[in-house]
Formats: sequence, C-alpha cells, structure tokens
Amino acid sequence: MDATDKEHVEQCRNGHPDDYRFLVERYQGPVFAYLAIRLGDRALAEDAAQESFVRAFFALPKLKKPESFYAFLLGIAGRVAHEMRRAASRIAKRDDAAALVTADAADDREEYHLEEAIAALPESHRQVILLRFYEQLSCQDVANRLGLPLGTVTKTLSRAYAQLRQILKPQPTPDALLRVEK
Amino acid sequence: MNCIECQENLVAHLERVLDPDQAAECQNHLAGCPACRGEQANMTELRQRLEAHGETASRVALGPAVMGRIRRQQAETPSSVTALPGWVRWALGCAAATAAIVLAALLISPKTTANAADVMARGVKAAMRLTSVHLQCRVRSEPAENFLHISPKSDFTTVELWKEWEGQGRWRIEKPGRVVVMDGQSTVHFLRPLKSAIKVPAVPGTMVPTAQALSVAGETLPERWAPFDTGWLHAIADIERTLDTELHRAQAKGWPMTVTREVIAAGVTQSVVTVEASSGLPQGDYLHNKSFDTADTRRVYRFDDATARLQGVQVFLRDAGGDVLVFEVKHIAYNEVFAPEVFQLELPPGVVVGGEQPQLAGDDASHAGLTAEQAARKFFEACGREDWDEVSAFWPLPMDERFKRALGGLTIVSVGESFTSAAYSGRYVPYEIRLKSGRVQKHNLALKQDPKSARWYWDGGL
Repeated sequence: MDATDKEHVEQCRNGHPDDYRFLVERYQGPVFAYLAIRLGDRALAEDAAQESFVRAFFALPKLKKPESFYAFLLGIAGRVAHEMRRAASRIAKRDDAAALVTADAADDREEYHLEEAIAALPESHRQVILLRFYEQLSCQDVANRLGLPLGTVTKTLSRAYAQLRQILKPQPTPDALLRVEK
Repeated sequence: MNCIECQENLVAHLERVLDPDQAAECQNHLAGCPACRGEQANMTELRQRLEAHGETASRVALGPAVMGRIRRQQAETPSSVTALPGWVRWALGCAAATAAIVLAALLISPKTTANAADVMARGVKAAMRLTSVHLQCRVRSEPAENFLHISPKSDFTTVELWKEWEGQGRWRIEKPGRVVVMDGQSTVHFLRPLKSAIKVPAVPGTMVPTAQALSVAGETLPERWAPFDTGWLHAIADIERTLDTELHRAQAKGWPMTVTREVIAAGVTQSVVTVEASSGLPQGDYLHNKSFDTADTRRVYRFDDATARLQGVQVFLRDAGGDVLVFEVKHIAYNEVFAPEVFQLELPPGVVVGGEQPQLAGDDASHAGLTAEQAARKFFEACGREDWDEVSAFWPLPMDERFKRALGGLTIVSVGESFTSAAYSGRYVPYEIRLKSGRVQKHNLALKQDPKSARWYWDGGL
C-alpha cells in the first residue's frame, strides 16, 4: 500500500522535504487538468501547476489537517489560476477587449468542479480514482499497485462514482431555496 | 441477475473484468431493465468525464521542475538562523531529532528482525536530499559501443558517472570510447574513435534532455538521441528513486527478496538484499534477456549498516547457461564536491560537432511509405553504391570516413522479413551483408519510423 498523504506531509515536515515529490506525482494529474480547464491553455496550466505545488510546499506548516493536503493544494491552485487570469485580464484590457471576454467565460464552465469533487472523497476512494483515470492504470494494475483484490478496486470505484455524482449534482442556489420556501 | 446484483457488478462490467458468464447475465439484465440502463448511462457519462480529464493530464511530469524550484528557493534562504522561515528552522531541528531516534532504534533493535524491505526502505530514506553522487561501475560491453550496449559475451569495461544537483545541475558519464557532459549550458556527446561529437542545448529545469523536454524547448531530436542512451545510468544515479521503485515493483510483482548480513571489517557490517526480478516476457520474445528491462535478473544491493546508504549493486543475468554478472556499481561516493574539470570537455582539434538540428536527408515523397524491409534494402544498396546522400536519408547521425570505409561497397546477401518485440516501438529487419573487407556480417537492423513523415531511419543493429 502506498503511503498516505498524511504520512508524506509529516515526512516533509520532519526534515525529509524530498518526500514531497511523492505528493507531486500523486496529484500532478488532477491539478494540471483542473488548471488546464480553468485557464484554457496547457502551457499556462503547467506554469500554474508548478507554482501551486511550490507554494503549497512552503505553506505546509499552515496545513492543520495533513490528510486534507489535496483540498489544500487545490485551494492554492484556484488562487494561482485566479491571479494568472487577472494578470491576463490586465493585459487584455490594454490590448484586446475580446480576450478578456474569453478569459472570463471559463468561469462559467462546470468541468473544473470534477477535481474539487475528487478532493471531497475519502482518501482510499480518491486514490483509486486517481490511479485509474489520471495515471490511466487498468483496474488490475490499480489492484496490483495497492495490493488489493480486484473486486475491492471495482467496489471502491462504484462507491466513489456514487459519491462523485452526489457531490456534482447541481445544488439549489440561495434564490431557488428562497422560492421553495415561499 | 436482479437489479441489485446488476448494479453491484456494473463497474466490473464496464471495466470488462467480469467473467464471460457474469458479463452475459449482466448484459441480458441491462437489455430488459430501463432503470439499470439509466444507471449505466449515468456511470458511463461520469467515466467519460474522468477519462477526458485524465487524458488532459497525461504526459504531465512536474516532479523534477517543482523539486528543482523548491531546492533553489531553499538554497536562496539566508543562512542566518534568525532569518530562516519558521518551518525551515523547525524542520532542521526535527531532522536532528529524527536522526537520533533512528540511531537509537538501530542500536536497540535485534538485527534479525530487519527484513529485506525494511533495509531497502531505510536505503531510500538515506538517499534523500543528496547534493551529488559519483558512481564507479563496470559493465560487460565493448569500450566504444553506445551506453546501452551490454553483452554477456563481452569483457568488463568501466563506466563512471558524476552528477551534481546543485544549481542548474551538471553531469558527466564516461566509458573508454565515449563521454557525455552536461555543464548546465549544453550536453555534448563525444565519440572518441569516430572523432565526432553531438551537441544539444540544455533545457532549463531539466538535467537530462529528454525528447519531450527538447520539444517543449522548441527543439526536435529523435528520441534515442536525447540523453545519448544514458537514461538508464541516470535512473541508477537517482538512488532514492531506484531503490523506491525496486521495492515497489518487487512487492507488486511478488519478486522474491532476501537479506543477509556480511561482516566487512571489525565492527563494519553490510546488509545484502537480493531481488530476483522477472521481466515477464515470454522465452521466445526477441528482446527477452536483451536489456535490463527485458531480462530476468538477480540484483544484489549492498547497504552499509551504520549509515543505511547503498554501497554497491550487482546485476546478474539469469540464463539457462548459468548466471552472469553483467553490471556492477563498485563504489558510490555521496555529496562529493567535484572539481570544475569534471564538467569541462575539451574536444581535440578537428572534431566534427553536429547534430544540433539533425534532419533526414532527401525528400519525403520518395522515402515515405516504404516497408521496413524496403527501407533496409535501400539503405544497404545505397551503402553498396557509396551514394552517401541517399544513405543520409536513412542515417540520422553524422557520417565520417571510418563509417564510409566500413560500409562502402558492401553487397547484400539477404534481407529477411521484419519483426518486432513487445518492448520496442520500431521494427527489426534481419540482414546478412558482405563488407568490402570480405567479412560477412549477419544481424538485425533496428529501424524506427518517424510518425510525421512516415520515413524509416536507422536506430541500431550495425
């Protein structure tokens, strides 16, 4: 079984910063996908992902729950993306009003919520989803990697799908709630 | 199969891991049940989203760049303790405490409880945060052959590697007939017998210029050129990663691991971990036992018990004729400060430096769309006619007089049907040629096909 996020974070805090690369390897896929969809550009997303991982490393002392590393990292990635888009907006304001509209349009896309939903999964479920889809391993390879029976992997995937669909279900807005109450 | 059973098996069905009978039952139930079909459609939609995101993220490798930036930022931190950020100071304090705890544990733990995995895991930790490594190795290979060449029939030749992670990173790898030096600005590969060299620019943030990194930097090179066949030595030099990967692979694949203890001198002991690695390739596969990744090997790792650090490695090829030692790391020096000359390469006068933008000569139209056999035959025919322009259409390296003398005027005895291996992306074409010297050479020409132009080019086997 691979070490947990908490174990890696604690190793980094205990004088083994090289352990951080295991966290980079584990989360580079979803963080990159999240940023690529938000920023609409692979090169920008790669820069933003690097920046996010570096900032997260130096912010580890502030992380109160080491087991929530991925959610913490995704929060930083969201801020980095926001900063990059604001910088792009400033340039766009100067150079091209149309570019600003394009940059803002990405805000309306729901696709990037997928990685946020994955952050809300229990770690054991998240690990299986990441290996299966972001490292593109077969279920058998996931089972081998985690030392689990194949049946456990498919059952975990099944539970993870159900949770993801629940999380991704459109939530009623405050306005909608108000209307229902009326 | 009822709805509950069907939905319990739905993931396994979509992943195609159900046995045929269960899959048929599941399929039959789905055909007659709109509710389960709805569940299947929802699940498929989510899987497609996940697959699309996973595809977006494929081929992303941020590790080296991120860790490099972190190391650089840490190095830039002022050395005054009072100026250190709180976390760094705390981490340093903890590192000292951890070392003390580990040492105490070693002293009080009965040695017999240590198993192979524990020894490997301690070796991984002991190899973290290295600033440099110096490996002195020997390999069964011809002195002037490329770095990938290993032959159980050859005598041993030396291979030495120096690698420094500080700053931009620098490295040097050398065997008697060739040397590659990356000095932070460029990577130069000097082939001593040919008196020719190939130079490519360094890629910021990347110590080994992989094909992917070069394409990002706007350069294009055939994949095999990128690290000049030294990739496997770099992999070994990354000792932390090598041991960690070996441990994970051995555990995942069920390779047998054992540990013994050897007394080296009074009060000095080593733990010796032996891993019996299996390639998984069938006996008849062409590449079975032809390279590290495709061979059945016994790897022996020696760790110093006092420091837990790796001291040496031996790789034995396991063959029907008996085990043969093919590669050995005889000595490892950690965190040495290297003399500047290690990363300086003075090329002798008259050396041809090429390869900065290698291109296959000739037009695409008349060289694309050939079969591998046709390409091999055209290549040999051109050598026979000494039509070096035409040879360049298949030969991506600089050509010197020695090459022309060796292959000019050859005659083809036979060109056979091409074949491939599960571990190689090109094709092998069996050939037999008679050189002008009268010597008959029989081997397999390795050809790769450029995906854009569909042209075959030489990749090995001469």
